[in-house]
Amino acid sequence: MAATAQPMQKPIKEANGWLTGLVIWHILILLGASAGVYALYTAQILLPEWVRWFSLGALLLMVPGSLGAILFIPRRDHRGRTLSLLVNYIGFLLCVLAFLQFIGVFAGFDELADRFPRSLPFFGIAFAGYLIYAFADRYENSPRRQRTIQRMGKIVMLAGLLLALLALIGWEAVPQFVQERLQVPILLLLAGGLLFGLMFWAMWRRPAAQAMQVNNARQEAIEGYLLLSPNLIGFLLFLAGPLMLSLYTSFTNWDGFGTRDFIGVANYAKLLNLTFAPLADARQPANQVVDVRVYDELWRFSFLGHSYLVAAADKLFWLALRNTFLFGILVVPLAVLPALGLAAVLNSKLAGMKVFRSIYFIPSVAAVVGIALIWQWMYNATVGWINYGLLVATNFFNSITGLSIVAAQPRWLSVSDTALFAIVVMVAWQTIGFNTILFLAGMQNVPKVLYEAATVDGADARRQFISITLPLLGPTTVFVLSTSIIAAFQIFEPIFIMTNPAGGPNNSTLSAVLYLYQNGFQRFNQGYASAVAWLLFLIIFIVTLIQYRRQGNTSYEL
Amino acid sequence: MITVRGKDPGVQNTVVSRPEVQRTWLHRLRKLALYALLTIMALVMIFPFLVMIFTSLKVPSDTFSYPPRLLPQEQLTVVMPDMDEPAPLFNIEVDGEKRQLALVQDNIRIGIYADPNALEVTYSLPVREVKPTGGFMDQQTITIDGKEQELWDVEVNGQVVQMIQTGLTAYGRFVDPNDPSVEVLANVRLSEPVTRVTARPQNYTEVLQLNGLGRSLTNTMLVTICVVLGQLVTSVSGGYAFARLRFPGRDVVFVLYLGTMMIPFVVLIMPLYQLMVQIGWSDRLVALILPWIFTAYGTFLMRQFFLTIPREIEEAALLDGASRLEILWRLFIPAAVPALATLATFTFLYAWNSFFWPLVIINTGNTDNHVLTLSLNVLRGRAADSPNLVLAGAAISVIPPMLIFILAQRFFIESATSSGVKG
Amino acid sequence: MSSKRVSIWLSLLVLFSLLISACGGAAAPAAPVAEEAAPAEAAATEAAPEEATEAPTEEAVSEAPAAEAAAEGDVAIRWRTRPDNQEEAGVYQSISDEIDAKLEGIGLAYEPGGSEGASYQDQLKTEIANGTAPDVFWIPGTDVADFAKRGLILNLAGQAANTEGYSNDDFYAGPMNFLTYNPETDVNDALWGLPRDVSTFVLYLNQDLLAEAGAPDPIALAAEGNWDWDAFVEVAAAVRGLGSDIYGYGANAWWGPYGTWMNAAGGGFFNADRTACNLNSPESLAGLEFEQRLYQDLDVAVPYGEDSEPPFRAGKVGMFQNGRWATPGIRTVDFNWDVVELPKGPAGNAGNWQFWGAYAVNANTEHPEEAWKLVQELTQAETQAKISALGTNIPSRVSQEAIDAFLTFTPPANNQAFINGLQDNAVAEGPLWKGDWPSYVTVMDSNVQALMTGEKSIDDFAATICDEADKTFQ
Repeated sequence: MAATAQPMQKPIKEANGWLTGLVIWHILILLGASAGVYALYTAQILLPEWVRWFSLGALLLMVPGSLGAILFIPRRDHRGRTLSLLVNYIGFLLCVLAFLQFIGVFAGFDELADRFPRSLPFFGIAFAGYLIYAFADRYENSPRRQRTIQRMGKIVMLAGLLLALLALIGWEAVPQFVQERLQVPILLLLAGGLLFGLMFWAMWRRPAAQAMQVNNARQEAIEGYLLLSPNLIGFLLFLAGPLMLSLYTSFTNWDGFGTRDFIGVANYAKLLNLTFAPLADARQPANQVVDVRVYDELWRFSFLGHSYLVAAADKLFWLALRNTFLFGILVVPLAVLPALGLAAVLNSKLAGMKVFRSIYFIPSVAAVVGIALIWQWMYNATVGWINYGLLVATNFFNSITGLSIVAAQPRWLSVSDTALFAIVVMVAWQTIGFNTILFLAGMQNVPKVLYEAATVDGADARRQFISITLPLLGPTTVFVLSTSIIAAFQIFEPIFIMTNPAGGPNNSTLSAVLYLYQNGFQRFNQGYASAVAWLLFLIIFIVTLIQYRRQGNTSYEL
Repeated sequence: MITVRGKDPGVQNTVVSRPEVQRTWLHRLRKLALYALLTIMALVMIFPFLVMIFTSLKVPSDTFSYPPRLLPQEQLTVVMPDMDEPAPLFNIEVDGEKRQLALVQDNIRIGIYADPNALEVTYSLPVREVKPTGGFMDQQTITIDGKEQELWDVEVNGQVVQMIQTGLTAYGRFVDPNDPSVEVLANVRLSEPVTRVTARPQNYTEVLQLNGLGRSLTNTMLVTICVVLGQLVTSVSGGYAFARLRFPGRDVVFVLYLGTMMIPFVVLIMPLYQLMVQIGWSDRLVALILPWIFTAYGTFLMRQFFLTIPREIEEAALLDGASRLEILWRLFIPAAVPALATLATFTFLYAWNSFFWPLVIINTGNTDNHVLTLSLNVLRGRAADSPNLVLAGAAISVIPPMLIFILAQRFFIESATSSGVKG
Repeated sequence: MSSKRVSIWLSLLVLFSLLISACGGAAAPAAPVAEEAAPAEAAATEAAPEEATEAPTEEAVSEAPAAEAAAEGDVAIRWRTRPDNQEEAGVYQSISDEIDAKLEGIGLAYEPGGSEGASYQDQLKTEIANGTAPDVFWIPGTDVADFAKRGLILNLAGQAANTEGYSNDDFYAGPMNFLTYNPETDVNDALWGLPRDVSTFVLYLNQDLLAEAGAPDPIALAAEGNWDWDAFVEVAAAVRGLGSDIYGYGANAWWGPYGTWMNAAGGGFFNADRTACNLNSPESLAGLEFEQRLYQDLDVAVPYGEDSEPPFRAGKVGMFQNGRWATPGIRTVDFNWDVVELPKGPAGNAGNWQFWGAYAVNANTEHPEEAWKLVQELTQAETQAKISALGTNIPSRVSQEAIDAFLTFTPPANNQAFINGLQDNAVAEGPLWKGDWPSYVTVMDSNVQALMTGEKSIDDFAATICDEADKTFQ
């Protein structure tokens, strides 16, 4: 700012006027907000509970904020500007959101859905326009024709969008809307929002900033928060807030309805309650060595000639953990390694790779619910495709070799040995294509020069892959692995849909998240379920951390 | 490889030696194997979808069959003069020749008879045509291996032989529709039906009317479009702030963002549901949109991408007096088109396929607000006995995104490949 | 630059049209009504302390969707039940419309629940927890205790006592016995709801397969009184002998089917007063052991855990155990089929279940009187007749007329088998007042599964099952 200070005398003078106005504005806010806090706190204004607390919180922020602004602005202290911006921003957001909520914009999405089908054909036109635009790539050799086609495509696209929007508008509802919705209190909200917005703008302007002696770093910090704010507010409201609530819930015995007593770490204690007992012989019943009113047998093992028994207060939790780990160990390599191989092949310049690429990607596009239905059908042990395929293949093999091997007919989803594996295969099948695309992305970022140099040095394709592609694929691998692991630990929907009872047979597919769901939504032990969730979070966190350490911390510039 | 060899003519193109020819052959063979492998893999990837599409075109009685059939088929029938319903046709072997015969009567009780002295030769005859030896009142018996068995008069080749009954079964009576004198008794289950390939596209219209699946389809589109657009906006601005602007607490907030990716979503359901009820958004489409446009994942992805853009460009623009928004709009977004495409793909898949949140937040009775996954879940319960309908529903949910991705793959997949997810 | 400007204009237009079109929402009395209703509602209780203001606010919000369905001035009542297929959903809708027209001052809105087994109750409870559940809803008999103990459904005994012409005795005793139990007083003086319908198991027969196998006709055997476990095994084994892909018997893996074998052997899930596990009693074990033999030693059944309906409908299963609800689907098969009652076990009866579910009233409903009226209407004889005409279930009112009408809903020709099952000492499906049914059934399901697939021997099962299961009674 210093460099351009000289010719800015006039703007600063103008800014002084604005700043005086702002001080008065903040005095008004201070008074209004204090009165509001008082009224809300003593419940003089009756609002729905959440609105009350929410507004109370916002007003409580505004009171000291305005106070600070009143004190700092006349001193031309940069903190005054920050506080003023904060207060006005909050006020603006509150007013606008409340305005939108009360005129029914959010709830109006349902009505929008009514009209959406009629604008769909126009969206189709817009999409066709895009296709025309994309088609122009065919004419890379004749730029003029290419440009003409592109322009055509653009026009079709824009026209389609425009028509679609026109069709979206509920013209028939407009008069009624004006009549019913545009009432004084709602309009007041809008006016308030505009006023806050105006004041924010006044303080934001460069002359005001100069007058308040804001340096670059401070300006950058404010801009940072401002740019982050849409995301941050939504994040706090819809993710962090509910998450904190669930953390609190994990220390209660909340049943989802009435009871919500703080019980400390009791939930965690029960989940982690394990006991070991030496056994007289390997077949000794559990009820002779542990208190079976509390513990269930989990596992028995022999060590140095002695047998031991492990029992848990919550057997299912440990089974769920075991299954989850097993699932992760099986599915991550199955979904990642073939993807790496496929990507290496698809990355070559052979003909038809694009076709294969899209085919492999298709399963990733389909909804898990639909996929699971199809696979459930195919896994049917008596009339399903997979076992029939095994039968046909075995018969064919027998007919050419003259052997008489009996075809294996696994009962995929109905015995504990294969059920989890069946789910693994399905999930791997669905995610391979996606991982392949990610790897391809990484490979195409490897500079071609490196390969050319390697070729000159006489390295063959395999050597090139091992010594160039793999190392340079590091960041992508980290990304694919960590998202795969996180997803594997949260496996839920396929199991929920494909196994009956969910988690069966004999709890062999009970995953941690499924167990969480059963506790939270079938037995309504919400507190207990939250504790499961947070334990699972801890585990995922540790596993991810270990993975980062092993991969080296190169890729995430934290 | 071949392309490279061409690039360096001076060294390799001088002499084509014998090993060189062999290498080309080997090369071709390897290429062939590669294509075979890729094709098999592609078949594996595509087969479940083929099953889905063909099953969704089947007639109800064809959906359950064994061995499973891919193509929808129906059995041919023929109208017989003295029958109310058309009789199904089967391929039956008559005198060493395969003929199409109509099944006119089923479950005819058949006895399996054998001569007590030659048990290995059996004769199958309708039990009505066999009379007990010695009459009904006084049937003769014979003791074989200490077990007393009744004797029957069985006519074989015009001769009456006394036999014992070794088993019972049932046959169907097949008649040639053109020549009623040709009549065969045979096992129906093991006979080969005469079928032809058909298709029943009405399954789709039926399923679209059922549960308002058509409405769910458009709802899903609307929700998906809104979520994708919303998430692009919040992720770009958030990612830019995280990547390029220094402000106190930035790294702490960022770590918090990353942490939330690791928390299972199910735990959010209850608190989020409460929040939605409080705001008055439960059972509304907006509950499927707004909470999902602020994700850590998208912000993370965009941040990673923005980090790779050189700082110098931005600093030059700042010196020129451009504002942050201008820089974002003019410099970062154009450069980030591939990353945006990647994010849009992720988000699209997520929004299109999300199942659990809609399941709890949207009332089952309010079909106007259902999304596809929800309708599909209702459908799989309510039409569990008609897989052709269920799979038609599944096809409806799978085909549109598939079409979009195939048609727009230049945009989605190729940009994803060039975006360079830096992890 | 011009394209930039165009795109800016376009995005402005998007915002504008979104706003306008969304505002079209004003045309219908949507959420904002609830928002405004909330303060008004609260204002009525202005004098009340803070805690009191909270409750009506939330309810006002929850009632919003109902307001849409109701005509002006009517009391809006939402109700929900779980239809098994689309036709049933249609019948319930038409019944709802009829009752709506009949009851003055009440506006009804019917919501078909998802028919997927477990998630119906999960979703319902989630909605109750958040105050968005309907006023009247159907729940399976096993869940009544869970809902009642949590205080989620109303005790209707008082209202029933004041209703002229109402009597508990009009309904089957089995369900009513459970529905009137009061966990606080330990006597039957409550009323948690009225049963919607009842159903029993039968064996669906593939008559073509049975004839081909030369097996005796189970329907004839049943008529002679000779349809017992031995005869059952004979028939199943004969059918199984037809080929490696043909099965004699099929049933799905849940407590219903394995429960019948235990019942028929004289055992059961619980002890007499339903306060402890009875799965290790000699009788229960005898039933389970017999079933295990069907799956393991005799190997006549569709592998345990595999859905038996697809192979049955593909014509590969001789006898398929299921309830009346499977009939509509089986009507599409192209082989000859009929039904027969379950075979009698060592205890002298078939050990069938009397399945039922009840209409209950949401404890938080604002209109308990109207809700009770609706529950009564929904269980009237005419209403039930209409639903059972679809062929999916048996009316819950004890009445010869209803049974006579039910018998005419063919196929299957032998509808009598369902009624026989009901009258042959059927064990009423029941809630678990002293324990936690969902947890109990989880323990039971997984252990029985291990038993039937041969992963566990009957001795191992007997040794540990009740230690594990009894924890759910704490």
